[in-house]
Amino acid sequence: MNEQIRNRLLLGVALVLAAIYLFPLYWMYVTALKTGSAMFATPPKFLPSDPQWSIYAHVWESRNMGRYLWNSLVIAVGAVSLIAVLGVGCAYVLARYRNVWVDVGLFLILMLQVLPASLMITPIFVGFSQIGLLETPRFAVVLAIAAKSMPFFVVLVRAAFMSVPMELEEAALVDGNSRIGAFFNIVLPLARNGILVSAILIFMQAFGEFVYSKSMIQAVELQPASVGLNTFMGPNTNEWNNIMAYATIYVTPVLAAFVLLQRRIVAGLTSGALK
Amino acid sequence: MGIRRRAMLGVIALASISLPALSVHAEDVTITVWSLDRDIQPAPNLINDFNKLDTGIKVEYRQIQFDDVVSEAMRAYSTGQAPDIIAVDNPEHALFSSRGAFLDLTDMIAASSVVKPENYFPGPLASVTWEGKLYGIPKATNTIALYYNKDMFKAKGLDPEKPPQTWAELVDAARKLTDPAANVYGLAFSAKANEEGTFQFLPWAQMAGGGYDNINAEGVVKALDIWKTIIDEKLASPDSLTRGQWDSTGTFNSGNAAMAISGPWELDRMMQEAKFDWGVALLPVPEIGAERSSAMGDFNWAVFSSTRHPEEAFKVLEYFVSQDKRMFKDFGQLPARSDIAIPSTGEPLKDAALKVFLEQLKYAKPRGPHPQWPKISKAIQDAIQAALTGQMSSKDALEQAAEKIKGVLG
Amino acid sequence: MKKILSSVTDGKGFDIGLVLLPLAFLFVLSGLPLVYNVVMSFQEVDMFSLGSFARPFVGFKNYVDLFSQPETGPILFNTALFVSASIVGQFVIGFGLALFFWTNFPGASWLRGLFLVSWVMPGLVVGAIWNWILSGDFGVLNFFLREMAIINANIFWRSDPNYSLWAVIIANIWLGTSFNMILLSVGLSGIPKDLYEAAELDGATMLQRFFTITLPMMRSTIGAIVALGLIFTLQQFDLFAGITSGGPNNSSNVTQYWAWDLSFRQYDFAKGATISVIMIVFVMLASVVYVRSTRHEVRG
Repeated sequence: MNEQIRNRLLLGVALVLAAIYLFPLYWMYVTALKTGSAMFATPPKFLPSDPQWSIYAHVWESRNMGRYLWNSLVIAVGAVSLIAVLGVGCAYVLARYRNVWVDVGLFLILMLQVLPASLMITPIFVGFSQIGLLETPRFAVVLAIAAKSMPFFVVLVRAAFMSVPMELEEAALVDGNSRIGAFFNIVLPLARNGILVSAILIFMQAFGEFVYSKSMIQAVELQPASVGLNTFMGPNTNEWNNIMAYATIYVTPVLAAFVLLQRRIVAGLTSGALK
Repeated sequence: MGIRRRAMLGVIALASISLPALSVHAEDVTITVWSLDRDIQPAPNLINDFNKLDTGIKVEYRQIQFDDVVSEAMRAYSTGQAPDIIAVDNPEHALFSSRGAFLDLTDMIAASSVVKPENYFPGPLASVTWEGKLYGIPKATNTIALYYNKDMFKAKGLDPEKPPQTWAELVDAARKLTDPAANVYGLAFSAKANEEGTFQFLPWAQMAGGGYDNINAEGVVKALDIWKTIIDEKLASPDSLTRGQWDSTGTFNSGNAAMAISGPWELDRMMQEAKFDWGVALLPVPEIGAERSSAMGDFNWAVFSSTRHPEEAFKVLEYFVSQDKRMFKDFGQLPARSDIAIPSTGEPLKDAALKVFLEQLKYAKPRGPHPQWPKISKAIQDAIQAALTGQMSSKDALEQAAEKIKGVLG
Repeated sequence: MKKILSSVTDGKGFDIGLVLLPLAFLFVLSGLPLVYNVVMSFQEVDMFSLGSFARPFVGFKNYVDLFSQPETGPILFNTALFVSASIVGQFVIGFGLALFFWTNFPGASWLRGLFLVSWVMPGLVVGAIWNWILSGDFGVLNFFLREMAIINANIFWRSDPNYSLWAVIIANIWLGTSFNMILLSVGLSGIPKDLYEAAELDGATMLQRFFTITLPMMRSTIGAIVALGLIFTLQQFDLFAGITSGGPNNSSNVTQYWAWDLSFRQYDFAKGATISVIMIVFVMLASVVYVRSTRHEVRG
């Protein structure tokens, strides 16, 4: 079979799969442009008959979205930095050895993230309020997110370190590198991609974190975008079209950034770094 | 670092305490208010106006989500960080007042020239009352009634000026209006497994001579059987079981349901988006002449007993009450008061609807009040869902609910 | 002293420090709240006593009460079904997609990135969108199934007790597939190409290559993904809130939603905590399985 035909065929299949998978995203885009009741119409309309383009400007201004997004960014960057600093070393050690203590460590790490945030928030809130951490609410949220997501990061990054051949590190040590030197010069670069992908996944989760933020951050000036999104929800009224427009503004750039980044990370991986 | 920071904070706190004593002019008292109102709703706007008056009281506002009001409030209260004033949903008011978390306002209200209990509808007033004392002030109120599509009535040979009056007429009309080929259901309502389901069902139970403390009465079984008929014959979408009132009424607006049971919060959206002639009728009763009843929704103001400035907090509440006449015109909410006439909006459809809702409000009954209302409500929701999915008969389901409720009431 | 110092910078002490520091952090921020929940499950909890530990102990009363409720059994079963069906669905579809995109046709890397959309969309929005897609009347899923003549009457995915749990499972598989796919893609691209070339020279078929090279090389990645998938699935909350609210009549209720409902709707914090302890036991078993599976990992 000719290579070009094969590629075209695969691309075609890929496009169909993507179209199916991305349908909810499309539905979000379309619903934002529909009127409040048109989204409940039977049969469903796949294109809005009377698109309400002005909704984006309205949503952006009425919610001061710039500020919300900035807060999300601050929280996400803080949480990812903290997780990376604490988590990479931990994952490295857990990958390097094979004994009972490693088992215990892994077990503890998994166990510590079992409960959903909605059940963790009450004790964390009580604890934080007693030591005065709620005075700096964004920092408090960063700490809580870090605790929540670190196990995820450690388990994934450990898997990344597992793919780095032990002999390479040992060779570096024989060559006179210190442990720290071998770690930064040899091991870390080789596990780079797994770490980056994990960090990006964590970043996106922290960017959208909701349960901790809404309880701990009371001042609206410090709240992230996920909390702002919920200001369209009322006791009897949900402004679905505004919610979808808000989510469109928030999701699209993050998704675009990820498409660009993951391309370099996942694709560039085998380019000889390993050998 | 931590110790130094705390020491610094201590110094700052000391300084700020001693400042008012030293300076000649007293510092502003700060009152914090939590409610679920957003930008276009009363609380934040009234607070802005109040702060402009420069009364020596500065009000700070925080918006919380409907779902989180109670959990946020008790978390804050148990850690000593409760706000001075909060708005809570009326069935949850007793939860706080029975436990002394809210301040008894009876004496302050008696001395007030602005807040007068006799001005309020009995339902909302009952919801802020606990053991004869007033623990809050009704903020606004709402209820439910029957919306119907007049154009569809005409098309199916029904008189658009004679909406169904009794349960039998409602089911009958729904049968005639249901048209699967045109994707039209006769009725839209909500039997969802949350407070909305209870909110929609209790009026039916009350009209039939029952109530939350008498949920297995014969009339209530009949009411639930009628709901079951409506679902079983697909006169309403089976999705009514998992859909709230707002989304259900959305299908009415889009022309996929001919009647809908919901409240006045729907009016603005319906005015804009319903492309047909519609009207509002009182909730149908079991038979002509039967007692009317309806649900009572919306929030109450309350002052936390932990406040350090009860008088100032009450002053803020008095200001809110003094602005009740703006409630409908500016924010589209109905004040819980019988002494305020709702001005004409200049839109005939809306004015006619409001007249019906105001009439219906006279029959509105509070849910409870009982400190464990959520458990009572849950028992009722479970019964509704068990019967409508056909897993239990209406009678058995309601018997079971009555048993659970008896356990709660003690 | 010097020996300790050099151990910290260059020896075992260095490793121990790297692990203990994050563990201490986790213990304070996750461990203590967990203990708080466990303690609460043995107490009588009042919503206004949340701020302190000093509450009357009631022994196993909360557990006895919980297990005497008729809905407990079905909800535990629903949870088990939800978790296993979701993980299998997410993993199989995710692995399939990862292998498909691994063939590296032009455009593959762009499209693969787009699949991460489910990871980015806010929970509230995902819940609402799936609510509409799965609606009986105006739902798009029914629309397509009807157009393709697979069904001739609408299925009320959300409101039919026979389908409601599957409605949430479908949405959850969608949600978790991207996470599985992207991490499996990373794992796949870490396998040295020369292994395959050698196997091809030896005459191994595609299936043989998959089972002798791909799977063993991916072992640690797969273990990690399944373990994490389990925890994510057990924490899934938004979809239940958005699609069925656990209804109708608890037919789609699961432990995590029930615990929330008991704690924050009915203010029965002790029961909420009791359920969370049951979840902890469940994850404990799964964690043991994961930790044991790491014993057979191949170090690259």
